[in-house]
Amino acid sequence: MIRLEDVSFKYKNKVALNKIDINIEEGESIAIIGPNGSGKSTLLKLLNGIIFASQGKYFFDETEISEETIKDNKFSKSFHKKIGFVFQNSDTQLFCSTVFEEIAFGPIQMGLSNEDIEKRVSSCLRMLNIEKVKDEHPYNLSGGEKKRVAIASVLALNPEVLVLDEPMNGIDPKGKKFLKELLIMLNKSGKTIICATHDFEYVEGIFKRGIVFSENHNIIRDDRYENIIKDKQFLEEHNII
Amino acid sequence: MIDEWLLEKDSYIPKGEKNSYIEKSIFSMVKTVSIIRENKIKEGIIYHINPLLKVVISILNLIFIAITRSFIYVGIFDIYLLSALLMMDKRDRIRIIKMSLIFPIITFIALIPAILMGNIYNSLLILQKVLSTIVLMSILSHTTRWSDINKALKLMFIPDIIIWIMDITIKYIVLLAEYSIDLLFALKLRSVGSSKDKNKFISSIVGNVFLKSYKMSEEMSSAMECRGFVGEYSISKNLTFKKYDYIYVIINLGMFLLFAIKFV
Amino acid sequence: MAIFVFKEFGGVKMHIPDNYLSPSTCATFGVAMVPVWRRAIIKIKQEVTRQKMPLLGVCAAFSFLVMMFNIPLPGGTTGHAVGAALAAILLGPYCAVISVTIALTVQALFFGDGGVLALAVNCFNMAFIMPFTAHYVFNFIKSFIKNKKGEHIGVFIAGYVSLNIAALFTAIEFGIQPILFKDGAGLPIYSPYGLAIAIPAMMIPHLLVAGVLEGIITTGVYSYVKKLTPEIIYKESKNRIKPLYFLIGILVLATPLGLLATGTAWGEWGAEEVQELVGFIPNGMKNGFNFSAPMPDYGLEGLKEYFAYILSALVGITVIFLIIKLWGKVSYKNSQKVQND
Repeated sequence: MIRLEDVSFKYKNKVALNKIDINIEEGESIAIIGPNGSGKSTLLKLLNGIIFASQGKYFFDETEISEETIKDNKFSKSFHKKIGFVFQNSDTQLFCSTVFEEIAFGPIQMGLSNEDIEKRVSSCLRMLNIEKVKDEHPYNLSGGEKKRVAIASVLALNPEVLVLDEPMNGIDPKGKKFLKELLIMLNKSGKTIICATHDFEYVEGIFKRGIVFSENHNIIRDDRYENIIKDKQFLEEHNII
Repeated sequence: MIDEWLLEKDSYIPKGEKNSYIEKSIFSMVKTVSIIRENKIKEGIIYHINPLLKVVISILNLIFIAITRSFIYVGIFDIYLLSALLMMDKRDRIRIIKMSLIFPIITFIALIPAILMGNIYNSLLILQKVLSTIVLMSILSHTTRWSDINKALKLMFIPDIIIWIMDITIKYIVLLAEYSIDLLFALKLRSVGSSKDKNKFISSIVGNVFLKSYKMSEEMSSAMECRGFVGEYSISKNLTFKKYDYIYVIINLGMFLLFAIKFV
Repeated sequence: MAIFVFKEFGGVKMHIPDNYLSPSTCATFGVAMVPVWRRAIIKIKQEVTRQKMPLLGVCAAFSFLVMMFNIPLPGGTTGHAVGAALAAILLGPYCAVISVTIALTVQALFFGDGGVLALAVNCFNMAFIMPFTAHYVFNFIKSFIKNKKGEHIGVFIAGYVSLNIAALFTAIEFGIQPILFKDGAGLPIYSPYGLAIAIPAMMIPHLLVAGVLEGIITTGVYSYVKKLTPEIIYKESKNRIKPLYFLIGILVLATPLGLLATGTAWGEWGAEEVQELVGFIPNGMKNGFNFSAPMPDYGLEGLKEYFAYILSALVGITVIFLIIKLWGKVSYKNSQKVQND
């Protein structure tokens, strides 16, 4: 479903991704692991079509995602519907005046009927446990609530792939447990989960596969998640713990 | 590993220089953020009247007050405002009353020369009007959410995209103000002495806020694009009226009538 | 007397509150601003991709916040800057127009700071005159002194001059109220202090203090941003110093027009209303709007006419400025076309 062929990304003469090859099938749940600055966030942005490879190709569902192909509004919209991105910083992700509007934004863009929009938004509010803040301004919410609103607003698009950038950052333990359960359930129902994470405590059971980045911005290991986590020596050697 | 000077205690006596500019900046930022955060719907009919009606009628009232030459009209309008104030939440009421006293006092002081020169009627009328205007607009902004006031502007042929930009502006005012407050506190905590270059400090804080603004806007653009935004934004109008909306309209039609009578 | 007025008008804020300007003044400036806003939005759509839309909101928030910072002054007091010059130099004049307009709108509608009816007038002063003046002054000086120092001098002077010109317009807007809008007894209905008071009261504090402050802050922030991320700063693609200054000079001398004409027509309101109340139109008022007639009440006839003339000239400048700008764009586009053919 997702295929990166020899992808590199450079910004102002600094290499952020170095010759990346990845193949991801539908329904996988993958953790992107690596020290700070190794290119995790860059990879996620590239997967979502916010930035484009300086070299190499990125294929989503057998269609190349590049600056030219994204220019087509129709294609861009259908692409962004299929893959949802939860940013690290929830503040910049939320841009509507109330939580309700925020979650409804995606469905409205997709052209659903008012009834369907109501249904979908209520369902998202319920699943993420944020019904009581539905008329609040996003900037008046706590960190955990903001994160859940961000996830809800992305989920409302019903994407096939869910990409999250360090979702556990700044969340309290209860929130982390909640997110863990949610991600496990979403993966079970068929969604592909791709997650950049630093946090190995609360994510047990979510991921089946792990891709490890080195400080040199290339992939040094692509293996089953348990194998990577158990290999303490490897992780220490590459500054991950 | 640790150098000598850290192992000794300094005997430092600072000069008594005031750095009030930091505190004052922090104060105005904090006040701004708290005003924005307080802007929500509370208990009480006045908070639930259709915002579109409130905005349109308030602006019409504003215009009529500006035009009128009649003390009686403004006086009766003040009674109407007072009753609106009584319907509000106590904290809001106190805040509005406090705010509404400052500016009219300044106005009065400024108009003293004119009054002494014999321009009494007009000066007092201006004073009256200033008071009424401030209370009117304060009531509007305290009982209506900013996003609703904003949407009402659609009636004035303002494009949807501008209305959306104004919504984001309030959100960013909060975010950037909090960022500025952090920077200002950091500056305050390190202002342990005197310096000649205070302007440089403030400039670098403002510069920092600008750069942060720029970065945040880029992130937000990405977020929007990821959710399918391609430049169009449509706003739906809220045109459901309840019983108290009609009462509100009728009372205000009465005020308009009064204005017309007093004008002719 | 002047001291009191000093405190009020020469105060730190240039925002005009409601009820000081006649509704007709507010409406006139509203009409004048519509083409400016439209032009800015069109220009922005061209220069700013759809991705940069949030930038406007963020910059409006930034413009808003700049007005909240307290700037230290010698002696321990503090002051405020407007920031419109800074916005014009960092973001370009059109972005500055929209950003400052939005910031002023938020201030007026949401915070009750500055008049709602007077919003268009405040926008005219701070969101149109100030950014554009800053922009042209900056580019003008930059083209004369081509080194780094020239750039910083240009920024400072742009900030200083643009603020003072905006203050001048504000003073004039206040000052003409008593000339144009009087009641039956010949007393001013709105702001009661004429040009002879308003202009010095506003200009002296701005020339001496506020302008310098604005210049300092504009320069300070500009150099900071330039040092860190110079590529963000606005660069106008086509840099023209128009020869319109010469044209303006001629037209200023030749054409008293604009606001005074409409003001006269609208001032008639007062006359008719008074007629109903009092039953007649007092002589003072009847003659009030005819500027060649002597004004027995005040005995300052020469002075009044002189100021009225200056005002109309200044308004004339603005109107002509707008027309020429639009014309300039059209003819530039045509010359572009010719080049490309």
